[in-house]
Amino acid sequence: MGHVTIRRVWLKDFRSYEELELDFTPGLTALLGDNGNGKSNLLEAIGFLVSLKSFRGAPKEALVRAGVDVGFIRAELDDDGREVLIEVELKSLGSPRVLVNKQRLGATRELLGVCSTTIFSPDDLSIAKGSPSLRRELIDDLLTAVHPKNEVVCDDFAKVLKQRNALLKQCNGRLSSDAQLTLEVWDERLVEVGERLGGLRVRILEKLQPLVNDYYTRVSDNSRPIGLAYSSAWRSSGMAASLAESRRDDLRRGISTVGPHRDDVMMEIDGMNARVQASQGEQRSLVLALRLASHELIRQATGTSPILLLDDVFSELDDRRSAALLGALPKCQTILTSAVGIPKGATADAIYYLNDSTLVEARSS
Amino acid sequence: MDLVVLAASSGVEMADYEQSIQELIDAFGRLPGIGPKSAQRITFHLLKSDKAESERLVSAVSSAVHKIRYCEVCFNFAESERCAICRDENRDPHLLCVVEEPRDVVAIERTREFRGRYHVLGGAIDHLQGVGPDQLKIRELLIRAAEEGITEVILCTNPNIEGEATALYLKRVLDIPGLTVSRIASGLPVGGDLEYADELTLGRAIEGRRTLEQ
Repeated sequence: MGHVTIRRVWLKDFRSYEELELDFTPGLTALLGDNGNGKSNLLEAIGFLVSLKSFRGAPKEALVRAGVDVGFIRAELDDDGREVLIEVELKSLGSPRVLVNKQRLGATRELLGVCSTTIFSPDDLSIAKGSPSLRRELIDDLLTAVHPKNEVVCDDFAKVLKQRNALLKQCNGRLSSDAQLTLEVWDERLVEVGERLGGLRVRILEKLQPLVNDYYTRVSDNSRPIGLAYSSAWRSSGMAASLAESRRDDLRRGISTVGPHRDDVMMEIDGMNARVQASQGEQRSLVLALRLASHELIRQATGTSPILLLDDVFSELDDRRSAALLGALPKCQTILTSAVGIPKGATADAIYYLNDSTLVEARSS
Repeated sequence: MDLVVLAASSGVEMADYEQSIQELIDAFGRLPGIGPKSAQRITFHLLKSDKAESERLVSAVSSAVHKIRYCEVCFNFAESERCAICRDENRDPHLLCVVEEPRDVVAIERTREFRGRYHVLGGAIDHLQGVGPDQLKIRELLIRAAEEGITEVILCTNPNIEGEATALYLKRVLDIPGLTVSRIASGLPVGGDLEYADELTLGRAIEGRRTLEQ
């Protein structure tokens, strides 16, 4: 994969859009319009094209326009001069169908070999404030973007965990000798993939930490040290020993109580827990730094910059943070939405005004 | 599969057919790998062509359904108490290949590499589908391993989560002195290029490399 940019996107029956066709510049494209006119839906479509999931966490059936059975997203990409056509057919029932240059795709991770995105969304603050699952998801998404093969580890872990939980539930608190043997088999598998997943997460956090520190300094104009630590109840004694120790508890409760699915990323600003002790402004800077650092890590690992999607990010920031973020943004294709105009200090190469999910005006400079 | 059934019986295209035609389309639509369009095509093909062709199909289905049962020894499909492979005196009685489904027996037979006998489990451990070791023919396998003078059991379950877990389980329960338990290797397709192999398969192939004999 070389330097990848989006040239053109077509939407049909996606979310609020009946039909839309839009050209993008390799620089900055701004989508402007009041809230509720489909700007975020358009970014969501671009994000979906690359990851086959909604960055707003919407279920697939919600993505097809109401009253219609099938929706389409098509995009023409430029991969170092080579044209790549991605087509996604979304059905309100069943899984989406993806064609890359008219070829059926085997697995989602193959799409990540084509193109990736970095998304800044208004919900990002919940990465700092919200539940551990959001931080795990951030790390696992990053693992997959850095190396598509890592998705298999995440998937395998999820599958083995589901099987083990199903077995625990069927045991109903009692462990027959037969069930014990089966449980041992799943434990062996869970240990194997769990240790791998835990190790991957720890190593990527180690790589992320210096970058986050760097970007935090740039977006917050203070240089307090940021700590990112993988917080895990099982890693010190090992997954096998922890599973053995928690077995009685697991059996009683009918679920697996220990493992990577219960872990968290502990984030600290100057030694203070960022989730509970940091101000909202500090949390915001931290999350921006996390996104920027992830972007840079993916660029280093894959040799290409992900496409930057900024969903209504600047309206939440004061002028100083806004300017600092603009200054820290890497030079790569950027698509931003805003209800309050283009942020001060930014120059857009193309500007589109959207009203009621239709294009009302286009300007390029 | 559920989707196919849903689509075939959702009534979307139902209105215009005679009832018996619709019933036939629905019946085909319930078969694996056949969508509503294919179900319709097969139905119309049968109705258009010679009646004898349909009758051959009917009698083939009916005689297979009536004649075929499970082999009492290995649980492969059989036309009598024991399947053709279990009856074959030329097969090596010391070698046993364990597979999930009868269709896996066919796949391995096609290789002509294996001259031992089989044991069909009837699936793999999958608690989400309610399939534990008890639902598989594992007890029968243990009895065979203890009584038939078998020296090697080759575990040929699928290389996915459920198949691997089943193999691990079997390895544990087949802890019998003098019995070798081996697992089928996974790796590169013959005649392929390394360049085009997916990373997972290639990784497995490197893991399972073997020393070349001098």
